[in-house]
Amino acid sequence: MSLEDLKEELSKVVDPANIHSRNYQKDGFFLEIQAKAKEVETLAQAAREADCFLESITAADYTEGVQIVYQFNSYSSVTRTLVRVQLARDESVPTISTIYPAALWYEREVFDLYGIRFDRHPDLRRLLLPEDADFHPLLKDYGKVHAFRSTEEIYGE
Amino acid sequence: MAEKELAPSPRVQFGVVEEILNLCRANSLWPMTFGLACCAIEMMAAGASRFDLDRFGAGVFRPSPRQSDLMIVAGTISKKMAPTIDNLWEQMPAPKRCMAKGNCAISGGPFEYDGQYAIVPGADLIVPVDVYVPGCPPRPEGLIQGFLALEDLITKGEKRNVLRRFKRRIVKGR
Amino acid sequence: MANELLEPISEQTFYLNMGPQHPSTHGVLRLFLKLDGEYIVEADPIVGYGHRGHEKMAESHLYEQFLPNSSRMDYLSGLIYNHGYVAAVENMAAIEVPPRAEYIRVVCAELNRISSHLLWFGTYVMDLGGFTPFLYCFDDRENILDILDRVTGSRLTYSYCRLGGVAKDVDDEFIESTKKFVDRLRSRWTDYHNLVTKNVIFIHRAKDVGVINRELALRFGCTGPILRAAGVAYDIRKAEPYSVYSGDYYFAVESARGALGYYIVSDGTSYPYRLKARVPSYGNLQVLTDVLPGTLVADTISILGSIDIVVPEVDR
Repeated sequence: MSLEDLKEELSKVVDPANIHSRNYQKDGFFLEIQAKAKEVETLAQAAREADCFLESITAADYTEGVQIVYQFNSYSSVTRTLVRVQLARDESVPTISTIYPAALWYEREVFDLYGIRFDRHPDLRRLLLPEDADFHPLLKDYGKVHAFRSTEEIYGE
Repeated sequence: MAEKELAPSPRVQFGVVEEILNLCRANSLWPMTFGLACCAIEMMAAGASRFDLDRFGAGVFRPSPRQSDLMIVAGTISKKMAPTIDNLWEQMPAPKRCMAKGNCAISGGPFEYDGQYAIVPGADLIVPVDVYVPGCPPRPEGLIQGFLALEDLITKGEKRNVLRRFKRRIVKGR
Repeated sequence: MANELLEPISEQTFYLNMGPQHPSTHGVLRLFLKLDGEYIVEADPIVGYGHRGHEKMAESHLYEQFLPNSSRMDYLSGLIYNHGYVAAVENMAAIEVPPRAEYIRVVCAELNRISSHLLWFGTYVMDLGGFTPFLYCFDDRENILDILDRVTGSRLTYSYCRLGGVAKDVDDEFIESTKKFVDRLRSRWTDYHNLVTKNVIFIHRAKDVGVINRELALRFGCTGPILRAAGVAYDIRKAEPYSVYSGDYYFAVESARGALGYYIVSDGTSYPYRLKARVPSYGNLQVLTDVLPGTLVADTISILGSIDIVVPEVDR
C-alpha cells in the first residue's frame, strides 16, 4: 500500500488536520499523527488492515505527562508512521495487543518503565525490572537527568 | 584426661595429600557455562579453536553448577539476576572458586553511574571472588591469565604448580 | 503466568523453568513453560535479567559519551549498532560524513555481520549436539576479529564509528586482508554446507518445528533473517537505503538480527532528551509465545536457537 493510500485510510479514523507529513530524509518518518487515547484502537486497526506491522511502542516523559509513541511500518514499502498520544498524568490508554500481539511486550515495557496503565491488557506485569520493584525508572523525576521539559519546549508552537 | 585421649596427635600427615589434591584441582578447573553479557562471548572464544582453554585443563565447561568448581561471573549483574547467581553459587560443591570477569563484574564498570537502578556493582557483593580479570571485555588472553592466576592461588605459588613447570620445560626443550 | 504456580494444577500439566542459567538460552533468558507431558501448552519468556538501564543512562550523558553503550547492547554486531547510532545523531544534527568514512563503516559493519552469523550457526548447531561446526566457525570468526582488531582496536565492543566519521583511517593491509578473508570464506562455504545444511541430523532437528509465516511475523513485528526466511523480502538496506547502500539517509539500519532503529528526542542541548533503541530481537523473541505451544520440549532448543537472539539487546 502506497503512502497516499495509507494517509487516506488513516484520515478516515482520525481528524485529517492531525495528520502531518514529515520530511523522511531528515526525520525518518513519513507521517506523524497526533491522536487521543481513545482513538488508538481504531488507528491500530486501520494500520493492521493497511498491512502495516508494529515497529515499536515507546514513550517519553514531559512536564505535562507521558507521551506514548507508536510506530508503524510496512514490509512491502516504507511507510513509517508515528502516532503520538499525549497523556495527562494518571491517564491510561487502551491496549492494542488484541490487534497486534507484538504490543503485549511493548506495553508491558512502557508500564514497567513509565507506570502507564494499558486498559484491558491481559497480562500487565513488569517486563524488565524485577517483579518487586516499586519505581518507574524512566520518569524524569527518578534518578539523574539533565533536563525535564514540556512538549512546547521541544516541538515548538 | 579423657579429652586428651580422644584427640591424639595425627599419625598421618595430610599436608602432602592436600597439596597433590590442590595440584589436581588447579590443573583441571571445570568452569560453569554461565554467561551474562558480552564477556561470555569472549569466554566462548577462549574455549574455541584459537585460544583453546583445554591446554590449561580448563576447557571442560559444565552446564550444571553441581558438576563445576569454578564460577566465572562474565558480565553485568542485574538486580533481577543477582539472586540466581547466589543460588548457583550455593549449588556448587566445595572446594569452589569464583572469577569476576570484566569491569561490570568487578565494579559495575561503565554502567555504574549516578542514578543507576538496575545493576549490582560488583560480583563480590554477592559471592566471594578469588580472581579479578579487568577489561571491557577482557580478551581471551586476559581470561587465560586469570586462569593461571587462579591456578597459582590454588597451589599457593607458581613454583609449586609442578605440572605447569613440567609443561613449560617441554616447550623450552623444543 | 508466574503467579499461576499458586493455583492447583492437574495431574497432567506441570511447570518447567528453563533458565536463566541454561546453556541453550544464549545468555540469561528464562523460559517458563507449562507442559502437558512432553508437549508445551504455554510458553512465557521472561526477560530483563540483563537489564542495564541504557536508556536512562542516555538521558544524563552527552551524545558522544553514549556511543560506547551502543556496541554493548548487541555485542555480536556492535559495529552495526555503532553505525546506526552515529548515523541517527548525524542525521539529526546535519553532520556531513566523508564518503570514504561511510565506505569504511559499511565494510567493517558487514564483516561484523558475517562474524555474528558465524557465531550464531556455530552455537546453534552446538546446541543441537554438533560440536565440530562450532570450532570451524570460530576459526573463521577469529580471522574477522583479527582484521577488525587491527583497525578498531577492539575485538568485540567497538567504538569505531564516531560522529562525523570513524576513529582512524584504514590502510592497505586492511584492504588486502579483507579480500583474502572473503576468498577464504568462499572456499569454506562447501564445508559449511556439508557440515550443517546437508547434515541429516540437523535437518531432522530443525525441519517443521517453529514455523513462522508472513502473517505471524507481521503480527509480532519480526524483522531480519527470520522474516526473510518466512518469504518476505524486507531488508532495511534495500527498503530504505542508508549510508553508501545509496542515498544519504540514516536512522533505521539492518543489524545482523533485523531492523534496528534509534528514536531520539532532542531538546537542542548536547544531551539526548530521550533515546530509545528499537531492537530486532524483541519482536523476534516474542514469537516464541506463539510458536512454542504444541511442540516438544526438545524442540524448544531448536526453535530458540534458530531465532538468533542476543538477550542483553532485548533487555537493554
